[in-house]
Amino acid sequence: MTDKQAALNVTGLSVAYGNVVAVHDATFTVAEGDACAITGPNGNGKSSILMGVTGMVRRRGAVEIFGTKAPNGDVRWAARHGLTLVPERRQLYPELSAADNIILGCYCWTRSIGRARRSASFGRAIDLFPELKPHLKQPAGTLSGGQQQMVAIARGLASDPKILAVDEPCLGLAEAVARRVYDVLGSIHEQGTTLIVVEEAPKRALTLCNRRIEVRNGVAGAA
Amino acid sequence: MKLGNLIIAGLVTGSIYAVFAVCVAVWYRVCNILNLAVGDFAMVGALGVDNLYRVKGMPLAAAIVTTLAVVGVFAYVYDRIVLRLAQDGPRRMEGIVVTFFFTFALSFFIDGVAKMLFGTDVHAAPALWNGQALTWASLHFERAGLLVLACAIIIGGAFWLYIRYTLGGKALEASGENPIGARIAGIDTRRYRWLIFVGTAVIAAVFGIVESPITGYTYLSGATISLTGFLAAAYGGFRKPGRALLAGLFIGVLEALLGGYVSAEYGDTVLYAILAAAVLAWPRGLGFESAVSG
Repeated sequence: MTDKQAALNVTGLSVAYGNVVAVHDATFTVAEGDACAITGPNGNGKSSILMGVTGMVRRRGAVEIFGTKAPNGDVRWAARHGLTLVPERRQLYPELSAADNIILGCYCWTRSIGRARRSASFGRAIDLFPELKPHLKQPAGTLSGGQQQMVAIARGLASDPKILAVDEPCLGLAEAVARRVYDVLGSIHEQGTTLIVVEEAPKRALTLCNRRIEVRNGVAGAA
Repeated sequence: MKLGNLIIAGLVTGSIYAVFAVCVAVWYRVCNILNLAVGDFAMVGALGVDNLYRVKGMPLAAAIVTTLAVVGVFAYVYDRIVLRLAQDGPRRMEGIVVTFFFTFALSFFIDGVAKMLFGTDVHAAPALWNGQALTWASLHFERAGLLVLACAIIIGGAFWLYIRYTLGGKALEASGENPIGARIAGIDTRRYRWLIFVGTAVIAAVFGIVESPITGYTYLSGATISLTGFLAAAYGGFRKPGRALLAGLFIGVLEALLGGYVSAEYGDTVLYAILAAAVLAWPRGLGFESAVSG
């Protein structure tokens, strides 16, 4: 590791669903400005690492975001301190418009819809996806898979993250759309946001990422 | 002017359906639970104020505030103890048990307690706006009816504005549409569940206080009120408060017109036949398809 500040410090992370252990004793650090890929076969615990780190599921072990210890199971705290998850399968609100889906990303830092609409983070989220502009009033559930993925990333950006954790961003997308999604992730990274990308395919992930963590049977290691 | 007076009467009845439909729909939208006890909170509001004011001799304002506080605290405690365990606990339940059972059981519980406290006779909270019916161009406006209508407009309008124009309202919608997606955005879905449960319980109690001088309540009135709200909410697919409000008003007016022009005795039968036919003819348009498929 270099002299860069650690954006995310994970020590002894374990995640279990009932008696099934999905992640066992994972330890890794992501430096500020890194683009880090978490790769490995499906069902080996990649997504569970992100779920545990962001607080979506309970975990054992310690997680520090920019040096501050993150409370267990508190997604809101993680988002307010700069770590936002763009989840697998997008998890949008299908009956709400695309614009409403995106603006709800601002909920972790404001309750005012006016402040949210005027914010730089909301503007940046909208501007990054010009192809979404004609569809902003459309219910998110009626958008194509690629457009939904863009809405999910835009919602993540609206929270003004310092670390954006993206889980399987190209799942079920056509190759051309997947390339577009990766282009956007590349420009988000170039603008200074630390990226963590979970991908089954290491080849694609490494077109963007400068580091890789390989996960096998719930055990994470540098690759 | 028979038509005009029937429409006014229908709007008053319809606004009762509408408010309870909105209460049912908003809470279902938040947490996917149908509040079958919403009418019981109205009954407690009406009979509680009557009991404290008429029997215990408390000043009216104090009786209203005390009753609303009791309803609010009770709803909060019920959420913290029962609903929290059912939906958030380590052995959380899903599906029809949570959707119906816990509020159905609550309805029976409140009825039982109300029977012990208030007896079985018909009572009502004292009228808040006393005097003769207002008349304008041979149209008659009962003062209590106008209050009910005003309450419905204020409550329905406030919910509509909140959901449409505030970030909190959109977060409320997101909570019910996708609880996992809501958590990812940092939305505390549990907080919305108890806030709206307590809020709608207090609103129902207020409405019971305002409306009871028109119909009179017994300890069993809550179930009937919940049913009418439930019916109107169903026409909004249980998820659309605005549509539930319109459905409530429409059902009230249709009921009054059928009672006035078709048959006072069989008006309700014809009404439910029309409503059932409408569901069969336009299930998607009336929101029933989304209610079934979720």
